[in-house]
Amino acid sequence: MQAGSRRRRSRTLATAAVLGLFLAACGSGSTSSSSGGGGSGPLLVGVVAPFTGADAALGPAYFAACLPAVRAINNAGGVNGRQVSCQQFDTRGEPADAVPAANQMLAANSNLMAVVGCTSDEASSVVPIIDHAHIPMFCMTGQSEFNKSSFTYFHRLVPPDEFDAYAIVGSALDFNHYKRVALVFGNDIGSQAFVPPAMKALQNLGATVTINQAIALGQPSYRTEVTALLATHPDVIFTEALGPTDATYLAEVKQLNGSSLPFLGTSATIDPVWFKAVSDAIGIPDMLKYFQAVDLGVSFSGPGYTEFKTNLDASAAQFADAPKYAERGATLHLYDGIMQAALAMDATHSADPTVYNPKIKDIGNGVSGAVDVHTYKDGVAALASGKSIRWVGAGGVTSYNQYNNSQQGYILVKYDASGNEVTIGTLTSAQTAAVIAAGGG
Amino acid sequence: MTYYLTNILVYAGVDIIACLALNLQFGVSGIVNFSFIVFQAAGAYTAAVLSLPPDSANGGFQNYVLGAQLPFPLPWIAGAVVGGLLSIPVGLVVLRRLRPDYQAIAMLVLSVIVNLVITNARPFLNGAAGLSLIPQPLSDQFNPYSAGYLWGYVGAAAVCALLVFLVAQRIVKSPYGRTLRAMREHELAVTALGKNPVVLKMTIFIVGGVMAGLSGAVLVQFITIWAPSTWLYPETLILFAAVIVGGRGNNIGALLGAVLVPVGFEEATRYLPQFGPPGLVPAFEWVAIGMLIIGFLWFRPKGVVPERPGRIPAASAPGGGRLAEDSGAR
Amino acid sequence: MNLYLAAFGFGLVSTSVLAIAAVGFTMQFGISNMINLAYGEVMIASAYAAYSLNSQGVSIWIALLAGAAFGAAFSFLLNRILYAPFQRKGTALIGMVIISLAASLMIANVMLPIVGYYSVSYRQGSGSTFHVGAIALTGVQVAIIGVAIAMMLAIHALLTLTRLGKAMRATAANATLARNCGIPTRRVIDTAWLITGALCGVAGTVAGMNSESFSVSSGSGFLITIIAAAVLGGAGHPYGAMVGALLIGEVTELSAAVISPQYKEVVAFAILVLVMVLRPQGLLAKRGAMAAAG
Repeated sequence: MQAGSRRRRSRTLATAAVLGLFLAACGSGSTSSSSGGGGSGPLLVGVVAPFTGADAALGPAYFAACLPAVRAINNAGGVNGRQVSCQQFDTRGEPADAVPAANQMLAANSNLMAVVGCTSDEASSVVPIIDHAHIPMFCMTGQSEFNKSSFTYFHRLVPPDEFDAYAIVGSALDFNHYKRVALVFGNDIGSQAFVPPAMKALQNLGATVTINQAIALGQPSYRTEVTALLATHPDVIFTEALGPTDATYLAEVKQLNGSSLPFLGTSATIDPVWFKAVSDAIGIPDMLKYFQAVDLGVSFSGPGYTEFKTNLDASAAQFADAPKYAERGATLHLYDGIMQAALAMDATHSADPTVYNPKIKDIGNGVSGAVDVHTYKDGVAALASGKSIRWVGAGGVTSYNQYNNSQQGYILVKYDASGNEVTIGTLTSAQTAAVIAAGGG
Repeated sequence: MTYYLTNILVYAGVDIIACLALNLQFGVSGIVNFSFIVFQAAGAYTAAVLSLPPDSANGGFQNYVLGAQLPFPLPWIAGAVVGGLLSIPVGLVVLRRLRPDYQAIAMLVLSVIVNLVITNARPFLNGAAGLSLIPQPLSDQFNPYSAGYLWGYVGAAAVCALLVFLVAQRIVKSPYGRTLRAMREHELAVTALGKNPVVLKMTIFIVGGVMAGLSGAVLVQFITIWAPSTWLYPETLILFAAVIVGGRGNNIGALLGAVLVPVGFEEATRYLPQFGPPGLVPAFEWVAIGMLIIGFLWFRPKGVVPERPGRIPAASAPGGGRLAEDSGAR
Repeated sequence: MNLYLAAFGFGLVSTSVLAIAAVGFTMQFGISNMINLAYGEVMIASAYAAYSLNSQGVSIWIALLAGAAFGAAFSFLLNRILYAPFQRKGTALIGMVIISLAASLMIANVMLPIVGYYSVSYRQGSGSTFHVGAIALTGVQVAIIGVAIAMMLAIHALLTLTRLGKAMRATAANATLARNCGIPTRRVIDTAWLITGALCGVAGTVAGMNSESFSVSSGSGFLITIIAAAVLGGAGHPYGAMVGALLIGEVTELSAAVISPQYKEVVAFAILVLVMVLRPQGLLAKRGAMAAAG
C-alpha cells in the first residue's frame, strides 16, 4: 500500500517536471523568428567559431578580422548612422555544441548584421540555422558540400579545399611536367580532403600516382613510410601535413634518400610556422631548391590592404594580438566580407537582410560601370554621390558565382630565404578549368 | 527565440533519456559505464545512415555505409536496437571477465579506441568529418524550420523521455530493481541468494544501451550532423556529473541532473558578460561549469534529490551509501 | 629488419616519457585512491612553466627542474585545496573522478588565455646523433632516456630504502592501519603529492622536448596513454607502470612499422583491453610495493 502511494507521487512529480518544461517553453516561445539588423541601436557582427577546445586558435583569427572592419566603419560614421560592434560565440569546435551557440546568438541578438566564422568544424550544423534566420554569413569552411548549396545568405571568399588539389595537379603537370606523383597527407580531415580530387585529376590527365600515404600527425618518426615512398621512385611529393609532421617526414626523406626530392605543398603550407619548422629540419637551401606551393592570389599590398593593415594595427587596443594576423588569408577575407555587408546596407539604406543580402554580390563583383573602392569611407561617399561601387579590399577582387562562392586564380610560389613567398607562375583560367574538369569538379 | 527554446528542450529530452539510462546502470546497479557515449553514438550513427540517401547523393562528398532512406520512426527504433545490440558483446567481455574497478577503466579506454577507429576508417562513417545533411524526420512532408515542426520535435523527444522514464521507474520499483540495488550494495550476498550477478548486470546494461541508442537517434536527426568530435569520452563524464549532481540511484534525481548540468550549466554560462580579448570569456565559461559541478558536489554530496534510504534495506545502516559506492568502484 | 630496430629505438624514447608520467599517476592512485584526470593538464602547465624560463634563454635542463618544482607545488595544492577536503567528506572514487574532470576543465581553460592557443617549441640543441646499429637517436632523446632511468631508480630507492617510502607503502596498503601504527598518514600523503607532482612536471617537460612542439590541447592527449600504461601494469603499482609504459611505448612504435601508422594507438589500447581480459589483475599481479587500497 505504501509502495503504491509512493509510486503515484513520483509519477506526479515527473509529470509536473515535464509540464513545467513545456509551460516555461510556451510562455516565452511566442516571439516570431528573428531577423537581422533589428531595432535602431548599434549593429552586431557575430563571430561564430571555436574559441575553446582543439581549434581554439581559429576564433581569435576571425575576431581579428571583425575589429578592423568595425573600426573603419565606425570611424566613417557607422552603417546608415548606426555603430557596429563584434561579439564572439563559441562553438567549442564541435557541431553539437555549435547548434545551441548559434540559436542562442539569434535569440539574444536582434541586431545582427552579419556572421563570420563557421569553420569546417561547425558549418554543416550552423549554416542552415543562420540561413533560415536570414543573416548574411561569410564562412571559412572548405567543405565541398557548399560548392553548390541553396543557402542564399551563405558566402564564401575561399575556395573549397579540393580546388587547392586541382591547382597543385595543374602546377605539377603544366609547369614542371612531372609524371610520377606521391601523395603524403596528414590523416586529419582537412588534409585528406585533397586526396580524392587530386587522385582523380592525376589519373585522368595521365600521370601516375606511385603511392598515397595518410600519415598520423605529430609522431616522432616516419621512417617506415619514407622507405615505402622512396621504393616507388616518385618525381614529386604532394604534401600537406601540419604541425611538426612535414618537418620530420621531409627531413627523413633527405636522410634516407641522400638528398631531398621535389615537393609541392597546398596553400596551407604557405605559413610562417610551417616554413620555420620545415626549413629548420631540411635546411634553407633545400627549402629554396625543392619546395613549391600553390597559393591564393593574395598580394598583401595595394590600397585595400593598406587600409586593412592600418585598422588592424589600431585594433591592438582591444586585442593585443590582432596585428599578428596581418598576413592570414582568413582574416583578410572575413574583413572584406563584413565591409561588403556594411556597404550593401548603405547602398540599400536598409537594415533588412532580405533587402541588402542580394546587394552584397553586386558590391563584391561590381555591376557594370561600378567604381572600385578600397576604404569604407570612400565607399559611403561614392554611394552618396549616386555611383555604383565594387569593393576591392584587403584580399583583392571578389568574384561570387551563382552559389556565392568566390574564387580567385591560383599562383605557384616558393619561399625566399627569409620565408617570404615569391610568385613563380600563375595558372591561367584555361589551365585551371582543364584540371577541374579532369577532377570531376 | 522559438529556435533556441526548442533546441534547449530537445537537448534536455536527449540528456534526460541519457541520464536515466546511466542512472539505471551506474546509480541503481553500480556499473561504472565510462563508455556510455559510445552507445549514444551508435544510435546516432545508425539513425543517420538509415535516414540518409545513399552516399552517392549530394555529389558524393561523403562516404558511408547503407544510406537506406527509411521513414521516421524506423531510424529511431533502429538506433535504440543497435544501442542494445552493441551492449551485448561489450557487456559479455567487460562485465563477465573484469573486476569492477577495471571495468570502469576498460570502458574508458574502449570509448577512446572506438572513437579513434571511427575517425580513421573513412569509408565506414566518413571518418573525422562525420556525417552531415542528415534528414530531419518527415522533412519531405513538413517544413523543418516551422515553429510547429520544432514543437512537434520537442513533443516527440518528450514522448521518448517520458517512455524511458516510465520504464526506468518500473524497473527501479520492481523486485528486479531491488535485487539490482542489493547487488550494488553487496554483490556477494546477492550471489549467495542464488542470483547470478552477471545476468543481472547484463540485462540492465542492455536496457541502458537501448536507451542510450535512442537518445543518440533523437539528437542526431535534430542537429543533422554527427562526427567523432561530438562523442569524445569527456561527454560521458559530464553525464556522470549530471547523475551525481542530481542524486544517483533515483530517477527524479537523474532527470533533474540532466536539466541542471549538460543543459542548465552549459546554457547559463553563455550569458556571462563579454570582456577582455577574444577567447577569454568562452574559456571562463568552462571554468564556471567546473566550479558549478564542484560546488554542487560540495554542498549537496548526495545530490539535489538524494536516493531515499528507507527503500533499501541494505543501506539502512549509516554510511550505507558510501559502502555501496566503494564496492562498485574498487 | 633495420626499420623494426629503428622503431624499437624510438619506442625507448616514448617509453621513457611515458614511464615518468605513469609512475606518478599510478602512485597518486595507490596512495590517495585518486584517478586524477587533471594529471595531463598539470603536465602541460608544468611544460609551460619550463617554457617561460627556456624562452628567456635559460638552459632547457634548468627549465626542466623548474617544471618539476612547478608540477610538485601545483599537485600538492590541488590535493590540499580540492581533492583531500572532498575525500575527508567521504566522496567515493567515482565522485572524485568527476571532481578531477572539473579540475582539468578549469586548469585547461585558465591556462588558455594565459599562454595562448599556439604551439610552442623549446629552445634546445638536438646535439649530435648517436648510432647503435640501425637505431639512431639525437642527444636530447638519449638524455631523456637517461632522465627516465635515473628517476625510476630514485623511485625504487625511495620506496625500498627510506622510512618515508615504507610509510608510503603502508599508507597505500591500508591507511587506517598505518595511522593506527603511528604513521603520520596526512604528512605522508602530502609528501607523496609533492613527489608525484614532480614526476608529473618532469614528464610534461620531457614530453614537450620529445615532440618538439606542444600546446594547451596536448594535455588531454597524454592522459589516456598514461592511464593505459598504469592500468596495464596493475593500477597503483609503480613497477607495473614502468612495465606498462615499456609495453605501450614499444607497441605504438612497432605497430606503426608493421601495420599502419594510422592505427598505432588503437593497437596499443587493444592490447591493454586484451591484457585486462586475460589477466584482470594487471601484468604484475602480486600486490607489491604499492597497490590500491581495498
